[in-house]
Amino acid sequence: MSRFIRWQGLASFFVVIALIITFIYFFADSLVKKGIESSGEWYLGAEVNVSDVEITYTPLTINIEGFQATDPEKPTHNLVSFSKASAGVDVWQYLFGKIYISELNIIALRIDQPRATAGEVYTASDDGIEEGTVAADESALPKLDMSLPKVDDLLNNSDLLTIKHGKALAQSYQTEKKKLNDIYEKLPNKNSLVSYNEKIKALGNTKIKTLADIEKLNKEFKALKKQFKVDQAIVKQAKQQVTASKELLSKQTKALKNAPNADWKNIESKYQLEKVDGADFAHLLFGEQAREYFGYADTVYQTIAPLVKSSKVDKEAKASTGGGRFIHFYDETPIPDVLIEQANFSLILPQGEFAINGKELTHQHWVRGNKSIVEVKSNNVQGSGELTLALDFSLDQNHVLKSEGKWQLAEVGLKDVSLQESSAFKLKLNSGLLSGNGTFSLLDDQLDSENKLNLDNTKYTGTGTSHLSRLFIDTVQSLKTLALTIKAKGKITDPSLSVSSPLDNQLKKSMMKQVSNKLTGFKTDVKKGLNSKLTEALGLSSEGEQSFVDVESLINDTDKALDNLMNSDVVKAKKKEFEDKQKKKLEDEVKKKLGKLFG
Amino acid sequence: MLSLFAKLFHALNSESSTRQISLAIALGFIVGLSPLLTLHNIAFLFVVLFLRVNIGGFILAWGFFKGLSYLLSSLIIMVGESLLTAESLQPLFDTLYQFSLFKLAHLHHTYTLGALVLGCLLAIPLYFLCNFLIEKYRIHIKAFFDKFRIVKALKASKFYSVYSQISGQGALS
Repeated sequence: MSRFIRWQGLASFFVVIALIITFIYFFADSLVKKGIESSGEWYLGAEVNVSDVEITYTPLTINIEGFQATDPEKPTHNLVSFSKASAGVDVWQYLFGKIYISELNIIALRIDQPRATAGEVYTASDDGIEEGTVAADESALPKLDMSLPKVDDLLNNSDLLTIKHGKALAQSYQTEKKKLNDIYEKLPNKNSLVSYNEKIKALGNTKIKTLADIEKLNKEFKALKKQFKVDQAIVKQAKQQVTASKELLSKQTKALKNAPNADWKNIESKYQLEKVDGADFAHLLFGEQAREYFGYADTVYQTIAPLVKSSKVDKEAKASTGGGRFIHFYDETPIPDVLIEQANFSLILPQGEFAINGKELTHQHWVRGNKSIVEVKSNNVQGSGELTLALDFSLDQNHVLKSEGKWQLAEVGLKDVSLQESSAFKLKLNSGLLSGNGTFSLLDDQLDSENKLNLDNTKYTGTGTSHLSRLFIDTVQSLKTLALTIKAKGKITDPSLSVSSPLDNQLKKSMMKQVSNKLTGFKTDVKKGLNSKLTEALGLSSEGEQSFVDVESLINDTDKALDNLMNSDVVKAKKKEFEDKQKKKLEDEVKKKLGKLFG
Repeated sequence: MLSLFAKLFHALNSESSTRQISLAIALGFIVGLSPLLTLHNIAFLFVVLFLRVNIGGFILAWGFFKGLSYLLSSLIIMVGESLLTAESLQPLFDTLYQFSLFKLAHLHHTYTLGALVLGCLLAIPLYFLCNFLIEKYRIHIKAFFDKFRIVKALKASKFYSVYSQISGQGALS
């Protein structure tokens, strides 16, 4: 037997085991400390420091002190740090390959705190993600950054339709006037008509003795008629010219009369005056702030997403990793691979101290069929504000993340919040009290959230380089309360935000009230100037119109006189007179001859 | 390390049983492939210490096969994965899973199970191969190598002096 068995080996075995246990007992703290640092550094890609780790064994509790994880994007700051943490670990489950923490307490958890010395970064950071938001800020107020022009400059602008049409009317008037003058010169004047009358009268006084005299009279009358026809043609041409000129000037006058209104519309459009009525003020003021807060949600999601993603490809991916994986089989009391049954954090942010309680925290909710529940409470948000937030989340077996939550905020004092910071427009909320509530739900990466906020006792300061932006600031400063509804929908990395508020109407009314005086003055001055230009141009037109009426009247008179002259029956009358005379003469001769015969 | 090699050489050259040395190498192979702190490794360590197995050979084989295990890790995981996910073996593993010892031994871990199964399977041919090679070494190879000048030079080295001290002899027998 002793050929095969080494009895002293038995003692050696126990000595080795005892050595191993002793080694673990004495160096467990350092091993766990090193393990936390190296696994944290592997995950973050930046330096992770732990001041001290202490392990107590009844029950097994790991106490961590002075944890600091460098922000790889900003090595001078910690991404997260805490002063103390303790985790009660179930040893039996740990030996079975599961991490089951019955209670996790983290005290003084801080985010984005400066480090004593910059931490090392092991992976290249992804710069430029946030680029473009600055440009967006700058372009947030293009509508209101436009300043109003001077009225005189505006009225001297040669692009104004009133000026253009006025000039066109004046030019047309001159052209048409010349045309009428030319034709006026050709028209038979009063002397000509008197002369024609005298000639006709003279023809009427002509003594007709023979047929030859009639013939001569007829010939002279025809010659006169020919002259009349020439004159009538001139009159007809003049009539046509007058009609054409009248039509042209009437058309241009109409255009001129409509020009001031068209000009005002163009001015309104160019200087965005009509936008004041339809501006989305709430979004303009609070859109970027809202986007910033939803950005925090995105940051949280981006931190969680890789964990969710990795569990999505659990089976396939882990098979190819170096370490292998645990495969769990049917269990009467199943437990997820990682489970924190109860977690208590105290989170310290510049905004206040938050107590965070978590229950059933895991990434395998389907194992026990329970959702993870998180509650956040604070009674010193920005001083004395109160916050309560309750959310639950779960991953199903298809690894789709579902989350729902609601929050409530009361009496949160806000101080020096920059609302707008562009080159031409700065607006800051100096003080105010914020309260509100909201709900949100997340399905995979699709966010749906509605939040209602109320701002009371607000005080603002701001500067603006344009007239309208200064007016806007004046208006906001006059508001003491604000109500906002912020809705976010879509992909959590880039949700579409809608910020609506009675503020819009409130601001529109207030601003319109403030703007209206200035705007009405501006409008009155511009319209007055336009109308003066219109009157000036129309004055010229009415003067021309009167002369046109005079010319037209003259033409009509001349036409009528020529018609009368044309229709004059002097030849016919003379012919009748001659015939009557000859008839009487014949009758007398016949009577005379018959008297002699019977008498 | 030098003394370990010296011990191995002494064992190879001594009248120690070839089976003791071969068993040490085979057990070193099983333990070397597996993760360091596992229940079955503790059991194998007990076997190594309790049975008359060449400890020097075991430690050297353990170190050597530990290094080799990194190259074989994907094969080890593949074996473990295919066993633990095989439909036909599910009832067996379901039953075994109810025993705390099974879970404590991490035999539901792909790497641990793969290393144990692969180690145990390959340890048997390795045992016989080592037996064969050690016998051949003692008969032919040792004499053959003794003729080389480099061996003669080695005998004049520090390693050889350590070896001599351990073996308690002035020269190789």
